[in-house]
Amino acid sequence: MIQKILTLLCLGGLLSLFPLSLEAGVLEENNCSTCHSLSSEDTEKKISGPDLYYAGNKFQPEWLRQFLKVPAVVRPSGFITDPGFLKGSPENLVPHPSFPDEKANAIADKLMELKIYEQTPVVRNALSKGQRAKIKYQFERTYGCISCHQSLNLAGKVRGGISGPSLVNAGNRLQADWIASWLQKPETYLSKSRMPRYKMDSVTQNLFVQFLMTLKKENMK
Amino acid sequence: MIRYSKNFLAGITVVLVGLGGCGQNHEEQATANLKPPIQQEIEEIRPQVSQIVRAPVTEKTRKTYQWYCAQCHGIEGKGDGINAKLLTVPPRNHTKASYLETRTDEQLYEAIKFGGLSVGRAPCMPAWENTLDEETIHSLVQYIRELCQCEAL
Ligand code: HEC
Ligand code: HEC
Ligand code: HEC
Repeated sequence: MIQKILTLLCLGGLLSLFPLSLEAGVLEENNCSTCHSLSSEDTEKKISGPDLYYAGNKFQPEWLRQFLKVPAVVRPSGFITDPGFLKGSPENLVPHPSFPDEKANAIADKLMELKIYEQTPVVRNALSKGQRAKIKYQFERTYGCISCHQSLNLAGKVRGGISGPSLVNAGNRLQADWIASWLQKPETYLSKSRMPRYKMDSVTQNLFVQFLMTLKKENMK
Repeated sequence: MIRYSKNFLAGITVVLVGLGGCGQNHEEQATANLKPPIQQEIEEIRPQVSQIVRAPVTEKTRKTYQWYCAQCHGIEGKGDGINAKLLTVPPRNHTKASYLETRTDEQLYEAIKFGGLSVGRAPCMPAWENTLDEETIHSLVQYIRELCQCEAL
Protein backbone atom coordinates (compact mmCIF):
# COMPACT_ATOMS: atom_id res chain seq x y z
CA MET A 1 0.00 0.00 0.00
CA ILE A 2 2.64 2.49 1.08
CA GLN A 3 4.70 1.44 -1.89
CA LYS A 4 1.78 2.11 -4.21
CA ILE A 5 1.30 5.63 -2.82
CA LEU A 6 4.98 6.35 -3.13
CA THR A 7 5.10 5.28 -6.77
CA LEU A 8 2.04 7.39 -7.49
CA LEU A 9 3.64 10.37 -5.80
CA CYS A 10 6.83 9.84 -7.72
CA LEU A 11 5.01 9.52 -11.00
CA GLY A 12 2.95 12.60 -10.26
CA GLY A 13 6.07 14.51 -9.36
CA LEU A 14 7.82 13.37 -12.49
CA LEU A 15 4.84 14.21 -14.67
CA SER A 16 4.52 17.72 -13.32
CA LEU A 17 8.24 18.34 -13.57
CA PHE A 18 8.72 16.91 -17.01
CA PRO A 19 6.69 19.33 -19.17
CA LEU A 20 8.27 22.27 -17.34
CA SER A 21 11.84 21.31 -18.07
CA LEU A 22 10.87 20.39 -21.61
CA GLU A 23 9.46 23.89 -22.16
CA ALA A 24 12.42 25.70 -20.68
CA GLY A 25 14.63 23.55 -22.83
CA VAL A 26 13.24 24.58 -26.17
CA LEU A 27 15.21 27.84 -26.23
CA GLU A 28 18.33 26.51 -24.52
CA GLU A 29 18.41 23.36 -26.58
CA ASN A 30 18.59 25.39 -29.77
CA ASN A 31 21.38 27.64 -28.53
CA CYS A 32 19.28 30.76 -28.78
CA SER A 33 21.17 32.19 -25.82
CA THR A 34 24.50 32.23 -27.65
CA CYS A 35 23.24 35.24 -29.60
CA HIS A 36 20.24 36.46 -27.57
CA SER A 37 19.76 37.43 -23.96
CA LEU A 38 16.75 35.49 -22.62
CA SER A 39 16.67 36.85 -19.08
CA SER A 40 16.98 40.35 -17.69
CA GLU A 41 19.40 38.87 -15.17
CA ASP A 42 21.69 37.74 -17.95
CA THR A 43 24.94 39.48 -17.10
CA GLU A 44 26.82 38.51 -20.22
CA LYS A 45 26.03 41.07 -22.91
CA LYS A 46 25.14 39.52 -26.26
CA ILE A 47 26.71 41.53 -29.03
CA SER A 48 25.47 39.61 -32.05
CA GLY A 49 21.68 39.60 -31.60
CA PRO A 50 18.89 41.66 -30.02
CA ASP A 51 17.68 40.93 -26.47
CA LEU A 52 14.63 38.67 -26.29
CA TYR A 53 13.87 38.67 -22.57
CA TYR A 54 10.95 41.04 -23.21
CA ALA A 55 9.79 39.30 -26.43
CA GLY A 56 6.28 38.84 -24.98
CA ASN A 57 5.97 42.60 -24.56
CA LYS A 58 7.45 43.48 -27.93
CA PHE A 59 6.26 41.14 -30.67
CA GLN A 60 3.02 39.95 -32.20
CA PRO A 61 2.85 36.14 -31.81
CA GLU A 62 1.89 35.50 -35.44
CA TRP A 63 4.95 37.43 -36.66
CA LEU A 64 7.22 35.41 -34.34
CA ARG A 65 5.86 32.11 -35.66
CA GLN A 66 6.38 33.24 -39.22
CA PHE A 67 9.90 34.56 -38.49
CA LEU A 68 10.95 31.25 -36.94
CA LYS A 69 9.66 29.34 -39.97
CA VAL A 70 10.97 31.68 -42.65
CA PRO A 71 13.32 34.27 -41.10
CA ALA A 72 13.09 37.70 -42.76
CA VAL A 73 15.87 40.26 -42.43
CA VAL A 74 14.86 43.07 -40.07
CA ARG A 75 18.25 44.73 -39.58
CA PRO A 76 19.99 44.85 -42.96
CA SER A 77 23.25 45.95 -41.29
CA GLY A 78 22.96 43.50 -38.41
CA PHE A 79 22.51 44.19 -34.73
CA ILE A 80 23.97 47.51 -33.51
CA THR A 81 26.90 45.86 -31.73
CA ASP A 82 27.74 43.36 -34.45
CA PRO A 83 31.46 43.78 -35.26
CA GLY A 84 30.58 44.38 -38.94
CA PHE A 85 27.66 46.78 -38.28
CA LEU A 86 29.31 50.04 -39.36
CA LYS A 87 30.80 48.40 -42.41
CA GLY A 88 27.42 47.15 -43.58
CA SER A 89 28.67 43.57 -43.52
CA PRO A 90 27.31 41.96 -40.34
CA GLU A 91 28.99 38.79 -39.17
CA ASN A 92 25.96 37.23 -37.48
CA LEU A 93 23.01 38.01 -39.70
CA VAL A 94 22.31 35.15 -42.09
CA PRO A 95 21.16 32.50 -42.10
CA HIS A 96 19.04 32.73 -38.96
CA PRO A 97 18.06 29.30 -37.55
CA SER A 98 14.65 28.25 -38.86
CA PHE A 99 12.26 25.50 -37.76
CA PRO A 100 9.45 23.29 -39.05
CA ASP A 101 5.90 24.48 -38.24
CA GLU A 102 5.23 22.73 -34.96
CA LYS A 103 8.59 23.50 -33.42
CA ALA A 104 8.46 27.12 -34.58
CA ASN A 105 5.06 27.52 -32.93
CA ALA A 106 6.30 26.00 -29.68
CA ILE A 107 9.33 28.33 -29.63
CA ALA A 108 7.15 31.34 -30.42
CA ASP A 109 4.80 30.44 -27.56
CA LYS A 110 7.77 30.19 -25.22
CA LEU A 111 9.09 33.57 -26.37
CA MET A 112 5.69 35.18 -25.78
CA GLU A 113 5.99 34.15 -22.14
CA LEU A 114 9.13 36.25 -21.71
CA LYS A 115 7.80 39.50 -20.27
CA ILE A 116 9.16 42.20 -18.02
CA TYR A 117 5.75 43.68 -17.21
CA GLU A 118 2.03 43.00 -17.63
CA GLN A 119 -0.06 45.61 -19.38
CA THR A 120 -3.60 45.79 -20.70
CA PRO A 121 -3.43 47.12 -24.25
CA VAL A 122 -4.27 50.79 -24.74
CA VAL A 123 -7.14 51.36 -27.17
CA ARG A 124 -6.03 53.49 -30.11
CA ASN A 125 -8.20 54.97 -32.85
CA ALA A 126 -7.27 54.83 -36.51
CA LEU A 127 -5.48 57.87 -37.94
CA SER A 128 -7.54 60.37 -39.88
CA LYS A 129 -6.23 61.30 -43.33
CA GLY A 130 -5.00 64.65 -42.08
CA GLN A 131 -3.26 63.15 -39.06
CA ARG A 132 -1.58 60.59 -41.25
CA ALA A 133 -0.26 63.21 -43.65
CA LYS A 134 1.05 65.30 -40.75
CA ILE A 135 2.81 62.49 -38.94
CA LYS A 136 4.26 61.07 -42.14
CA TYR A 137 5.78 64.51 -42.77
CA GLN A 138 7.28 64.50 -39.28
CA PHE A 139 8.59 60.97 -39.73
CA GLU A 140 10.35 61.95 -42.93
CA ARG A 141 11.32 65.54 -42.19
CA THR A 142 10.91 67.10 -38.75
CA TYR A 143 12.33 64.10 -36.89
CA GLY A 144 14.17 62.47 -39.80
CA CYS A 145 13.27 58.94 -38.67
CA ILE A 146 13.50 57.75 -42.25
CA SER A 147 17.24 58.55 -42.34
CA CYS A 148 17.83 55.36 -40.34
CA HIS A 149 14.68 53.29 -40.83
CA GLN A 150 13.16 51.80 -43.94
CA SER A 151 9.47 52.48 -44.43
CA LEU A 152 7.01 52.70 -47.32
CA ASN A 153 6.37 55.80 -49.40
CA LEU A 154 2.96 56.70 -50.83
CA ALA A 155 3.62 54.53 -53.88
CA GLY A 156 4.28 51.54 -51.60
CA LYS A 157 8.02 51.53 -52.34
CA VAL A 158 10.64 50.79 -49.69
CA ARG A 159 12.82 53.76 -48.83
CA GLY A 160 15.03 54.97 -46.01
CA GLY A 161 18.22 54.20 -44.10
CA ILE A 162 19.33 50.80 -42.85
CA SER A 163 21.15 51.42 -39.57
CA GLY A 164 17.91 50.96 -37.62
CA PRO A 165 15.56 47.97 -37.80
CA SER A 166 13.28 48.07 -40.85
CA LEU A 167 9.83 49.47 -40.04
CA VAL A 168 8.29 48.32 -43.33
CA ASN A 169 6.42 45.55 -41.49
CA ALA A 170 6.22 47.23 -38.07
CA GLY A 171 2.43 46.97 -38.03
CA ASN A 172 2.55 43.18 -38.18
CA ARG A 173 5.67 42.77 -36.08
CA LEU A 174 5.48 45.06 -33.05
CA GLN A 175 2.92 45.67 -30.31
CA ALA A 176 1.61 49.24 -30.31
CA ASP A 177 2.18 49.67 -26.57
CA TRP A 178 5.75 48.50 -26.89
CA ILE A 179 6.47 51.15 -29.55
CA ALA A 180 5.03 53.81 -27.24
CA SER A 181 7.17 52.54 -24.41
CA TRP A 182 10.28 52.44 -26.62
CA LEU A 183 9.80 56.04 -27.75
CA GLN A 184 9.32 57.14 -24.17
CA LYS A 185 12.01 55.15 -22.36
CA PRO A 186 14.33 53.26 -24.73
CA GLU A 187 16.74 52.56 -21.86
CA THR A 188 14.18 50.08 -20.46
CA TYR A 189 15.12 47.84 -23.37
CA LEU A 190 18.60 48.86 -24.38
CA SER A 191 21.18 50.42 -22.11
CA LYS A 192 22.74 52.33 -24.99
CA SER A 193 20.91 52.93 -28.20
CA ARG A 194 22.27 54.39 -31.46
CA MET A 195 19.01 56.22 -32.02
CA PRO A 196 18.73 59.86 -30.98
CA ARG A 197 16.50 60.61 -27.99
CA TYR A 198 13.40 62.60 -28.86
CA LYS A 199 11.37 64.72 -26.51
CA MET A 200 7.86 64.56 -27.92
CA ASP A 201 4.53 65.30 -26.28
CA SER A 202 2.21 62.35 -25.69
CA VAL A 203 -0.11 63.33 -28.55
CA THR A 204 2.73 63.28 -31.10
CA GLN A 205 4.07 60.08 -29.62
CA ASN A 206 0.72 58.42 -29.96
CA LEU A 207 0.46 59.55 -33.58
CA PHE A 208 3.87 57.99 -34.26
CA VAL A 209 2.70 54.72 -32.73
CA GLN A 210 -0.48 54.71 -34.83
CA PHE A 211 1.48 55.61 -37.95
CA LEU A 212 4.02 52.81 -37.46
CA MET A 213 1.18 50.35 -36.91
CA THR A 214 -0.13 51.15 -40.41
CA LEU A 215 3.16 50.05 -42.00
CA LYS A 216 2.66 46.51 -43.27
CA LYS A 217 4.51 44.54 -45.87
CA GLU A 218 1.29 43.70 -47.72
CA ASN A 219 1.11 47.41 -48.65
CA MET A 220 4.41 47.07 -50.48
CA LYS A 221 4.20 47.39 -54.24
CA MET B 1 35.15 86.00 -54.18
CA ILE B 2 36.02 82.33 -54.02
CA ARG B 3 34.33 82.07 -50.63
CA TYR B 4 31.26 83.78 -51.89
CA SER B 5 30.78 81.36 -54.73
CA LYS B 6 31.19 78.35 -52.44
CA ASN B 7 28.47 79.54 -50.13
CA PHE B 8 26.40 80.36 -53.13
CA LEU B 9 26.79 76.84 -54.49
CA ALA B 10 25.93 75.28 -51.15
CA GLY B 11 22.81 77.47 -51.09
CA ILE B 12 21.78 76.29 -54.51
CA THR B 13 22.09 72.62 -53.59
CA VAL B 14 19.73 73.16 -50.70
CA VAL B 15 17.21 74.95 -52.88
CA LEU B 16 17.44 72.30 -55.56
CA VAL B 17 16.65 69.45 -53.23
CA GLY B 18 13.29 71.02 -52.42
CA LEU B 19 10.81 70.02 -49.68
CA GLY B 20 10.07 66.61 -48.26
CA GLY B 21 11.67 63.74 -46.44
CA CYS B 22 15.02 62.07 -46.33
CA GLY B 23 14.49 58.53 -47.44
CA GLN B 24 15.37 57.34 -50.85
CA ASN B 25 14.75 54.15 -52.73
CA HIS B 26 17.61 51.80 -53.54
CA GLU B 27 17.05 51.94 -57.28
CA GLU B 28 15.77 55.44 -57.87
CA GLN B 29 18.01 58.46 -57.74
CA ALA B 30 17.13 61.34 -55.48
CA THR B 31 13.78 62.80 -56.35
CA ALA B 32 14.21 66.54 -56.04
CA ASN B 33 11.52 67.16 -53.44
CA LEU B 34 13.29 68.45 -50.33
CA LYS B 35 12.20 72.00 -49.50
CA PRO B 36 14.70 74.18 -47.63
CA PRO B 37 13.59 75.23 -44.15
CA ILE B 38 11.52 78.38 -43.95
CA GLN B 39 12.48 81.06 -41.41
CA GLN B 40 9.68 80.07 -39.02
CA GLU B 41 10.81 76.45 -39.06
CA ILE B 42 14.35 77.58 -38.23
CA GLU B 43 13.23 79.81 -35.37
CA GLU B 44 11.15 77.03 -33.86
CA ILE B 45 14.04 74.60 -33.69
CA ARG B 46 16.93 76.98 -32.95
CA PRO B 47 15.78 79.17 -30.12
CA GLN B 48 18.88 81.17 -29.16
CA VAL B 49 22.32 82.21 -30.34
CA SER B 50 24.99 79.73 -29.30
CA GLN B 51 28.25 80.33 -27.47
CA ILE B 52 31.18 78.23 -28.59
CA VAL B 53 33.39 76.51 -26.04
CA ARG B 54 36.59 74.88 -27.25
CA ALA B 55 36.09 71.55 -25.51
CA PRO B 56 39.02 69.13 -25.86
CA VAL B 57 38.67 66.08 -28.09
CA THR B 58 38.83 63.04 -25.81
CA GLU B 59 38.46 59.29 -26.15
CA LYS B 60 34.79 59.81 -25.30
CA THR B 61 34.39 62.22 -28.23
CA ARG B 62 35.78 59.68 -30.68
CA LYS B 63 33.63 56.88 -29.25
CA THR B 64 30.54 59.08 -29.44
CA TYR B 65 31.28 59.83 -33.08
CA GLN B 66 31.69 56.12 -33.86
CA TRP B 67 28.56 55.14 -31.97
CA TYR B 68 26.14 57.75 -33.35
CA CYS B 69 27.59 59.74 -36.24
CA ALA B 70 29.40 57.00 -38.15
CA GLN B 71 26.04 55.39 -39.10
CA CYS B 72 25.77 58.18 -41.67
CA HIS B 73 29.11 60.02 -41.78
CA GLY B 74 31.19 56.84 -41.93
CA ILE B 75 33.92 55.38 -39.71
CA GLU B 76 36.48 57.90 -40.96
CA GLY B 77 34.00 60.75 -41.35
CA LYS B 78 34.13 60.70 -45.13
CA GLY B 79 30.35 60.85 -45.51
CA ASP B 80 30.11 57.19 -46.51
CA GLY B 81 28.26 55.54 -43.60
CA ILE B 82 25.80 52.68 -44.10
CA ASN B 83 22.84 55.07 -44.51
CA ALA B 84 24.66 57.45 -46.85
CA LYS B 85 23.44 56.14 -50.20
CA LEU B 86 19.86 55.92 -48.98
CA LEU B 87 19.45 59.56 -48.01
CA THR B 88 18.00 62.21 -50.29
CA VAL B 89 20.85 64.52 -49.27
CA PRO B 90 24.20 62.81 -48.63
CA PRO B 91 25.87 63.17 -45.22
CA ARG B 92 28.66 65.75 -45.18
CA ASN B 93 32.20 64.56 -45.69
CA HIS B 94 33.84 65.77 -42.48
CA THR B 95 37.32 65.50 -43.96
CA LYS B 96 36.54 68.00 -46.72
CA ALA B 97 38.28 71.21 -45.74
CA SER B 98 37.05 73.25 -48.72
CA TYR B 99 33.46 72.97 -47.44
CA LEU B 100 34.06 73.05 -43.70
CA GLU B 101 36.14 76.22 -43.97
CA THR B 102 32.96 77.94 -45.10
CA ARG B 103 31.10 76.91 -41.94
CA THR B 104 31.59 78.54 -38.54
CA ASP B 105 31.94 76.56 -35.31
CA GLU B 106 28.56 77.98 -34.27
CA GLN B 107 26.96 76.53 -37.40
CA LEU B 108 28.51 73.11 -36.80
CA TYR B 109 27.46 73.19 -33.16
CA GLU B 110 23.89 74.13 -34.08
CA ALA B 111 23.69 71.51 -36.82
CA ILE B 112 24.64 68.83 -34.29
CA LYS B 113 22.46 70.13 -31.48
CA PHE B 114 19.29 71.15 -33.33
CA GLY B 115 19.66 69.19 -36.55
CA GLY B 116 20.26 70.09 -40.21
CA LEU B 117 17.12 72.21 -40.65
CA SER B 118 18.30 74.66 -37.99
CA VAL B 119 21.24 75.83 -40.13
CA GLY B 120 19.49 75.76 -43.48
CA ARG B 121 20.61 72.22 -44.21
CA ALA B 122 18.69 69.02 -44.82
CA PRO B 123 16.54 67.34 -42.14
CA CYS B 124 18.39 64.07 -42.85
CA MET B 125 20.86 65.30 -40.24
CA PRO B 126 19.02 64.60 -36.93
CA ALA B 127 19.08 66.73 -33.77
CA TRP B 128 21.16 65.38 -30.87
CA GLU B 129 20.16 67.86 -28.15
CA ASN B 130 18.31 65.24 -26.10
CA THR B 131 20.97 62.58 -26.55
CA LEU B 132 24.32 64.31 -26.03
CA ASP B 133 25.42 66.75 -23.33
CA GLU B 134 26.81 70.23 -24.08
CA GLU B 135 30.42 69.28 -23.45
CA THR B 136 30.20 66.37 -25.89
CA ILE B 137 28.59 68.48 -28.62
CA HIS B 138 31.30 71.15 -28.25
CA SER B 139 34.01 68.52 -28.42
CA LEU B 140 32.43 66.99 -31.54
CA VAL B 141 32.78 70.37 -33.27
CA GLN B 142 36.49 70.32 -32.43
CA TYR B 143 36.73 66.70 -33.57
CA ILE B 144 35.28 67.66 -36.95
CA ARG B 145 37.90 70.45 -37.14
CA GLU B 146 40.49 67.76 -36.50
CA LEU B 147 39.03 65.53 -39.23
CA CYS B 148 39.08 68.31 -41.83
CA GLN B 149 42.36 69.76 -40.58
CA CYS B 150 40.77 73.14 -41.03
CA GLU B 151 39.36 76.20 -39.29
CA ALA B 152 36.52 78.50 -40.26
CA LEU B 153 37.90 81.15 -42.61
C1 HEC C 1 24.12 32.96 -34.57
C2 HEC C 1 23.39 33.85 -33.73
C3 HEC C 1 21.91 33.57 -33.49
C4 HEC C 1 21.32 32.44 -32.97
C5 HEC C 1 21.97 31.13 -32.55
C6 HEC C 1 19.91 32.74 -32.86
N1 HEC C 1 19.66 34.02 -33.32
FE1 HEC C 1 17.87 34.94 -33.36
N2 HEC C 1 18.75 36.56 -34.24
C7 HEC C 1 20.09 36.72 -34.52
C8 HEC C 1 20.30 37.99 -35.18
C9 HEC C 1 21.63 38.55 -35.66
C10 HEC C 1 19.03 38.60 -35.30
C11 HEC C 1 18.69 39.92 -35.95
C12 HEC C 1 18.19 39.59 -37.32
C13 HEC C 1 17.62 40.78 -38.03
O1 HEC C 1 17.32 41.77 -37.37
O2 HEC C 1 17.46 40.72 -39.26
C14 HEC C 1 18.08 37.67 -34.69
C15 HEC C 1 16.70 37.92 -34.59
C16 HEC C 1 15.82 37.13 -33.90
C17 HEC C 1 14.44 37.47 -33.67
C18 HEC C 1 13.77 38.75 -34.10
C19 HEC C 1 14.11 39.79 -33.08
C20 HEC C 1 13.87 41.18 -33.49
O3 HEC C 1 13.97 42.06 -32.64
O4 HEC C 1 13.66 41.43 -34.68
C21 HEC C 1 13.89 36.44 -32.95
C22 HEC C 1 12.47 36.33 -32.46
C23 HEC C 1 14.93 35.45 -32.76
N3 HEC C 1 16.09 35.90 -33.36
C24 HEC C 1 14.75 34.25 -32.10
C25 HEC C 1 15.74 33.29 -31.98
C26 HEC C 1 15.51 32.01 -31.34
C27 HEC C 1 14.22 31.56 -30.71
C28 HEC C 1 16.69 31.34 -31.42
C29 HEC C 1 16.97 29.92 -30.94
C30 HEC C 1 16.09 28.94 -31.54
C31 HEC C 1 17.65 32.19 -32.10
N4 HEC C 1 17.03 33.35 -32.42
C32 HEC C 1 18.95 31.85 -32.36
C33 HEC C 1 21.07 35.82 -34.23
C34 HEC C 1 20.87 34.56 -33.71
C1 HEC D 1 20.29 57.99 -36.28
C2 HEC D 1 19.47 56.88 -36.66
C3 HEC D 1 18.03 56.80 -36.15
C4 HEC D 1 17.04 57.75 -36.23
C5 HEC D 1 17.11 59.15 -36.79
C6 HEC D 1 15.85 57.12 -35.67
N1 HEC D 1 16.14 55.84 -35.27
FE1 HEC D 1 14.81 54.50 -34.50
N2 HEC D 1 16.34 53.20 -34.18
C7 HEC D 1 17.64 53.36 -34.63
C8 HEC D 1 18.42 52.20 -34.26
C9 HEC D 1 19.91 51.98 -34.57
C10 HEC D 1 17.53 51.31 -33.59
C11 HEC D 1 17.89 49.93 -33.03
C12 HEC D 1 18.22 49.94 -31.61
C13 HEC D 1 19.09 51.04 -31.19
O1 HEC D 1 20.29 51.06 -31.39
O2 HEC D 1 18.51 51.98 -30.66
C14 HEC D 1 16.24 51.97 -33.57
C15 HEC D 1 15.07 51.41 -33.04
C16 HEC D 1 13.79 51.90 -33.26
C17 HEC D 1 12.57 51.21 -32.94
C18 HEC D 1 12.48 49.81 -32.34
C19 HEC D 1 12.54 48.83 -33.47
C20 HEC D 1 12.84 47.43 -33.05
O3 HEC D 1 12.40 46.55 -33.76
O4 HEC D 1 13.53 47.19 -32.06
C21 HEC D 1 11.53 52.01 -33.29
C22 HEC D 1 10.04 51.71 -33.16
C23 HEC D 1 12.11 53.23 -33.81
N3 HEC D 1 13.49 53.13 -33.79
C24 HEC D 1 11.37 54.33 -34.27
C25 HEC D 1 11.95 55.54 -34.64
C26 HEC D 1 11.19 56.75 -34.87
C27 HEC D 1 9.69 56.87 -34.76
C28 HEC D 1 12.10 57.72 -35.20
C29 HEC D 1 11.83 59.19 -35.44
C30 HEC D 1 11.06 59.88 -34.45
C31 HEC D 1 13.43 57.10 -35.21
N4 HEC D 1 13.28 55.79 -34.86
C32 HEC D 1 14.60 57.74 -35.55
C33 HEC D 1 18.15 54.45 -35.30
C34 HEC D 1 17.45 55.62 -35.54
C1 HEC E 1 20.92 59.86 -40.01
C2 HEC E 1 22.16 60.22 -40.62
C3 HEC E 1 23.06 61.16 -39.84
C4 HEC E 1 23.57 60.98 -38.59
C5 HEC E 1 23.36 59.79 -37.65
C6 HEC E 1 24.41 62.11 -38.34
N1 HEC E 1 24.39 62.96 -39.41
FE1 HEC E 1 25.38 64.72 -39.58
N2 HEC E 1 24.59 65.01 -41.43
C7 HEC E 1 23.78 64.13 -42.09
C8 HEC E 1 23.44 64.67 -43.38
C9 HEC E 1 22.56 64.00 -44.42
C10 HEC E 1 24.09 65.92 -43.48
C11 HEC E 1 24.08 66.88 -44.67
C12 HEC E 1 23.00 67.91 -44.55
C13 HEC E 1 23.03 68.85 -45.72
O1 HEC E 1 24.08 69.01 -46.32
O2 HEC E 1 21.99 69.46 -46.03
C14 HEC E 1 24.81 66.10 -42.24
C15 HEC E 1 25.56 67.22 -41.94
C16 HEC E 1 26.30 67.37 -40.79
C17 HEC E 1 27.12 68.53 -40.49
C18 HEC E 1 27.32 69.73 -41.41
C19 HEC E 1 26.26 70.76 -41.27
C20 HEC E 1 26.57 71.93 -42.20
O3 HEC E 1 26.78 73.00 -41.68
O4 HEC E 1 26.61 71.72 -43.42
C21 HEC E 1 27.71 68.30 -39.29
C22 HEC E 1 28.65 69.23 -38.55
C23 HEC E 1 27.26 67.02 -38.82
N3 HEC E 1 26.39 66.48 -39.75
C24 HEC E 1 27.66 66.42 -37.65
C25 HEC E 1 27.16 65.21 -37.16
C26 HEC E 1 27.53 64.65 -35.89
C27 HEC E 1 28.57 65.23 -34.94
C28 HEC E 1 26.81 63.51 -35.75
C29 HEC E 1 26.79 62.55 -34.57
C30 HEC E 1 26.43 63.10 -33.30
C31 HEC E 1 25.98 63.37 -36.94
N4 HEC E 1 26.24 64.42 -37.77
C32 HEC E 1 25.11 62.30 -37.16
C33 HEC E 1 23.32 62.93 -41.61
C34 HEC E 1 23.59 62.40 -40.35
